[in-house]
Amino acid sequence: MISQLTKTERETALFLTALLTLSGLTLGLLGRNDLLGYHGALLAVAGMSLTFLLIKDYYKPEPDPDNRAKYYDDPIKVGLVLALVWAVIGMIVGDWVAWLLVFPEATFDAGWASFGRLRPVHTSGVIFGFGGNALIATSFHVMQRTSRARLADNISPWVVVVGFNLFCLMAATGYLMGITASKEYAEPEWYADIFLTIIWVVYLVLYLRTLARREEPHIYVANWYYLSFVIVVAMLHILNNLAIPISLGHAKSYSLFSGVQDAMIQWWYGHNAVAFFLTTGFLGMMYYYLPKRAGRPIFSYRLSIISFWGIVFLYMWAGSHHLHYTALPHWVQTLGMTFSIMLLVPSWASAGNALLTLNGAWGKVRDDATLRFMMVAAVFYGLSTFEGSFMAIRPVNSLSHYTDWTVGHVHSGALGWVAMITFGSIYTLTPWIWRKERMYSNKLIELHFWLALVGTMIYVFAMWNSGIIQGLMWRAYNTDGTLAYSFIDSVAAMKPYYVARAIGGLMFLAGAIVCAYNVWKTAKLPTVTEYTPDKPPLPARGRPSAAAQAAE
Amino acid sequence: MLGKHAKLERTAIGFAIGIIIVASIGGLIEIAPLFTIDETVEEDPDMRVYTPLELAGRNIYIREGCYACHSQMIRTLQDEVERYGPYSLAVESQYDHPMLWGSKRTGPDLARLGGKYSDQWHVAHLLDPRSLVPQSVMPAYRWLARNDLDVSDMPLHLSAQKKVGVPYTDDMIANADEDAFGQANPDSEAADGFFERYGFEANARYFDGDRRKLTEMDALVAYLQSIGTLSEAASKNNEITKTIPDEGGAE
Amino acid sequence: MTIDHETLTAFAKTYGLIYMMIVFFGAVVYALWPSNQSKFDRAANSILEQDED
Repeated sequence: MISQLTKTERETALFLTALLTLSGLTLGLLGRNDLLGYHGALLAVAGMSLTFLLIKDYYKPEPDPDNRAKYYDDPIKVGLVLALVWAVIGMIVGDWVAWLLVFPEATFDAGWASFGRLRPVHTSGVIFGFGGNALIATSFHVMQRTSRARLADNISPWVVVVGFNLFCLMAATGYLMGITASKEYAEPEWYADIFLTIIWVVYLVLYLRTLARREEPHIYVANWYYLSFVIVVAMLHILNNLAIPISLGHAKSYSLFSGVQDAMIQWWYGHNAVAFFLTTGFLGMMYYYLPKRAGRPIFSYRLSIISFWGIVFLYMWAGSHHLHYTALPHWVQTLGMTFSIMLLVPSWASAGNALLTLNGAWGKVRDDATLRFMMVAAVFYGLSTFEGSFMAIRPVNSLSHYTDWTVGHVHSGALGWVAMITFGSIYTLTPWIWRKERMYSNKLIELHFWLALVGTMIYVFAMWNSGIIQGLMWRAYNTDGTLAYSFIDSVAAMKPYYVARAIGGLMFLAGAIVCAYNVWKTAKLPTVTEYTPDKPPLPARGRPSAAAQAAE
Repeated sequence: MLGKHAKLERTAIGFAIGIIIVASIGGLIEIAPLFTIDETVEEDPDMRVYTPLELAGRNIYIREGCYACHSQMIRTLQDEVERYGPYSLAVESQYDHPMLWGSKRTGPDLARLGGKYSDQWHVAHLLDPRSLVPQSVMPAYRWLARNDLDVSDMPLHLSAQKKVGVPYTDDMIANADEDAFGQANPDSEAADGFFERYGFEANARYFDGDRRKLTEMDALVAYLQSIGTLSEAASKNNEITKTIPDEGGAE
Repeated sequence: MTIDHETLTAFAKTYGLIYMMIVFFGAVVYALWPSNQSKFDRAANSILEQDED
């Protein structure tokens, strides 16, 4: 990796790792009497390890200048591998906490192993670790290919990949130690938030500079979706994390907002994180890899533009549907509900656009598990956006809110849509960037597909059942007008569903491990020199191609 | 006009900045009311602040992720009011930086927990939830009784709270560590200062039943006993109206 | 004039809404403008023609 950098770039990198080490040491020194000190040490150790790596290879020969005319794929490879590492970690922790609800004594009498501290490790691990790394890696690929231009420079991609993963590491280790701001999906404390903000600005600048170098006159629509992900996540992140630390030597901070205002800003963040992290980013992925894999252009390019603007505008106010019947002013709740229902239109436009792209290539969907991953993802996207709009209706929400139904809904989106489109994209992308003829094993992709699909179905059905039962038990009355069930009755009723959910999750985890193994083995396959990997693996207009036959 | 757009599109930076400006104007107009939404909150002149010990306990509640399974927000629904108590008002969490309304009830809502059970019940429940509630799926929190509570930083905590708008006095900030100790040791000298600053009605007890040391258990139980007791607005409101201001989901 | 909650809310509910509708309408017109069709077709097909390197 380092041998691909010029002397000047190696020096710039050394400067940056020295800066990282120094920041780590400063933070460690300031926070020496607090948990903050550990994160200072973490950054310092990371900085020193990177410095060591750079020094070790510093005198290696410089790269061939001709390489600079080619795409820069090293950061993509690292990002993809890290995405899979986080996927496995995040899902192991997720399934573990699912079992904790069945066996609540399995906490080894240790704080770090209790449900409340492990849960954010799961959510951050899969959303930011797996999802974030996958988005960063694929966006580096899409921005280069659709622009026909190399990444704007060779240092900032590494700043983004390394920095983002250090943020994820600080988040996960912080939760285990008890460092949390308690804002769901924005738990890391102030110093990690500042660190991420810097990384994110580098990411945005890199993206814009790469687009500015493009050969294509038109910016392909996938980039619009990726860009809105980068930009809006920055806005959300900064606003929701405004806080005052108790001192520069402490990890603890207090949110600038309180009560109803804090709740509204938190769920404005929370729901737009679903929109711009878990939706538009992955739609960007879908709008590139699905047409590429299917070998057919997107069904309606116009529709993809219209649904882009629809999503961007409508999501802004949808967040308050998380606060129905609470102390939030009534009109804000109504607005949230209305916008959430309208959101169904652009959401289904995107899902329909994806499925209609596959229309005429259903035979390929049947034979190619990778394409099937993407097809199922589009179906789940349609289903979970419908479910989301439905659950945002106030009377429905009165039943579903606070129950496992929400958890089921989130996972139908996260497993069915986000993870499936990512796995489909990873299987498409891996042979291309590692310059291989194909994935190591198509049988393993097939196995992964069925593990993922069955696992998701078990998970979602279990949570639908438990959530609706919970909601109904809480509001059930006896004929004499007294509540029919105590709360603990509803807890006891959940047990079989919690077991089923943990089994479904285990299957999904097994699939992710199969995927990681398959990618690892693919990277070890002999490299193909005279191969044009971006040639569509499926015939564009129903003609069987040599590549497609070879793949079978 | 369209030619211009195509030209705009060719310069990526201009295009992206255009998107940012256009979209964020709309976004900013739409979210601007959020920054004044605190003006809509009812007033309660008698509302008290968290004592230092309670605040320390609240931070333990946050640290252990209790909010992942317990809400503190009773909705305006008949069955919730009957199960948990008066529905929550915005004013009740006006000193909550951050709010802990929660989003999931794996366990019951806690908005009206303060005073509902004895300290002994809470200690026993946190040490071994299944000894009191056999079907509970809550983890045991035995380390809370083992860990000493570090109160040395409490003045910093109160000072930061004041910066974000909680009306602590300078006297309260300066003595926050002493007051935290005093509240859990009502027979000590430190307790006198605590009563002076926070009033006699404030709870001061040996929360964890152990007189020898100040533990995290003391703080968490003090916090749990304070939830819903900072303001009486909700119970007064409920006496007046008795009706739910919404059509509601339950009959 | 003081900027209070009422003012901001009223502004968001009227001009904010109109603004967003105009921008959205602009986006729809751009997407559906007949002469843009060829550009979009080219863009949609462009990703399929690319090679690596």
